[in-house]
Amino acid sequence: MRRSIIAGIALVSGLLVLLDLLIVNPSVGDAAGALIELLVLLAAAAAVGGGATLAARHVRDIATGNGDPVGSIVLLVGMGAVLLAGLRPGSAGSSDPLVRWLVAALLAPIAASLFALLFIFLLRAFRRGYTWRARETGVMAAAAAIVIVLLFPVGGRVGDWLAASAGWVRAVPLAGTFRGLLIGIGIMVAVSAARSLLALDRDDD
Amino acid sequence: MPNLGEIAARLISLITEAIGSSSMRLGAAPTVAILLVLLVLLSLIARPSGRWAAADLGRLAAVRRAMALAAESGADAAISLGSAGVVRAASATDRFQTLAALPLLGHLAEAAARAGVSLRVTANDPVAALFAEATLAGAHRRTATPERASASAVEYLGEGRAVAAGAALARAAPHGLAIVAGGLGEESLLMLDGLLARAEWSLAGTASASQAAGPLLVGDGTLIGPELFQAVAEIAGSGHARTAVRAANRLISTAVLVLLLGSIAAWAGGPQVASFLAGR
Repeated sequence: MRRSIIAGIALVSGLLVLLDLLIVNPSVGDAAGALIELLVLLAAAAAVGGGATLAARHVRDIATGNGDPVGSIVLLVGMGAVLLAGLRPGSAGSSDPLVRWLVAALLAPIAASLFALLFIFLLRAFRRGYTWRARETGVMAAAAAIVIVLLFPVGGRVGDWLAASAGWVRAVPLAGTFRGLLIGIGIMVAVSAARSLLALDRDDD
Repeated sequence: MPNLGEIAARLISLITEAIGSSSMRLGAAPTVAILLVLLVLLSLIARPSGRWAAADLGRLAAVRRAMALAAESGADAAISLGSAGVVRAASATDRFQTLAALPLLGHLAEAAARAGVSLRVTANDPVAALFAEATLAGAHRRTATPERASASAVEYLGEGRAVAAGAALARAAPHGLAIVAGGLGEESLLMLDGLLARAEWSLAGTASASQAAGPLLVGDGTLIGPELFQAVAEIAGSGHARTAVRAANRLISTAVLVLLLGSIAAWAGGPQVASFLAGR
């Protein structure tokens, strides 16, 4: 019964948004707009609730000595620092200079240094791939090598030919593969959404 | 007091006025095309025909054996729901992958609960973490193993893709079974390598088209693109869900056929099907 009610609400909501997509009607538009605003508010409330639950759990871990107390303290201090910077009196919120400094001086360099490891990990992944699936990995490595050669910064007629070939690879085989994947993904997203609406999957509850 | 006839007349008048004050947003052909696709899909779901032939997508059939081996060796299982989350500032398609990964998580959690393997689920979105907790609880309820629930945990790692990748690298450990399923971005290789590289058996799945290479290189089993959604229907016991996948396969075939015929028509100097279908 509970699943039917939830599925019914989801179905009516989905139909309303679909109706608004297909026809122009002020009443339907207002109703769909109100529904979407409500969904945004619900998502925001859920996110705030999740954050509060996280903080409460780590406070409890520190109090009871469970888990990793140092990690919990670092997490709570970090949360407190960002909240203090963004919510103190006179603060401009997320665009406040102090918040921006915290992001630019701490978060951005940490993220950049992590992503700088990508090339090394790509090589490691190729090594692992050769161990498990030599043929498929070989095809991928050959394709990557061809693209690298096509993107060589070479001038003259050879450079023009390489640039034209790189453009063709990007516009024809690569774009074709990506569009095929995206069409399949789009259809499966629609089917999965329908399955969720109709409560066909086991873990919807 | 109005009689039933007057009420009906008012109702019809109201509906007529509502229709009269409306107009088509996309034009006749695209509207009919959208409705036709929906009708085909719904009719195929409602009236299954033919026999479903299941394939072992992502080598998911090996999960139970991998769990049994993990239980024998005392190893744990690590699962990440990707880095898109549910309410994070990611694209809708990426976030929907997190929802698609939850039934997969339920399937694995059931196998882990039966085998007595502890699960460590990670997410970088608090709402996704709450969903994962509910999924784990549901798995223990279905398998009647509530005494094993305390051995498993769901962890919220923090906001951002870099956090998910950094945590995966920092905590790289030999797991009995490791899985990454959900939306991934540029951090995919870092996450996959950190979580899966030292696992006895691993599965990597994402419908993020730009990150297809990572799972292919790192995972023992892979779910690429539509397969992530398709696998969910395959593990579900419901025949309806499998029929939905069959319906999707037919739609994909139809879309490919339209693309091919449209391309041939355009190449031969015939009508531009794309502009007709898009209503432009």
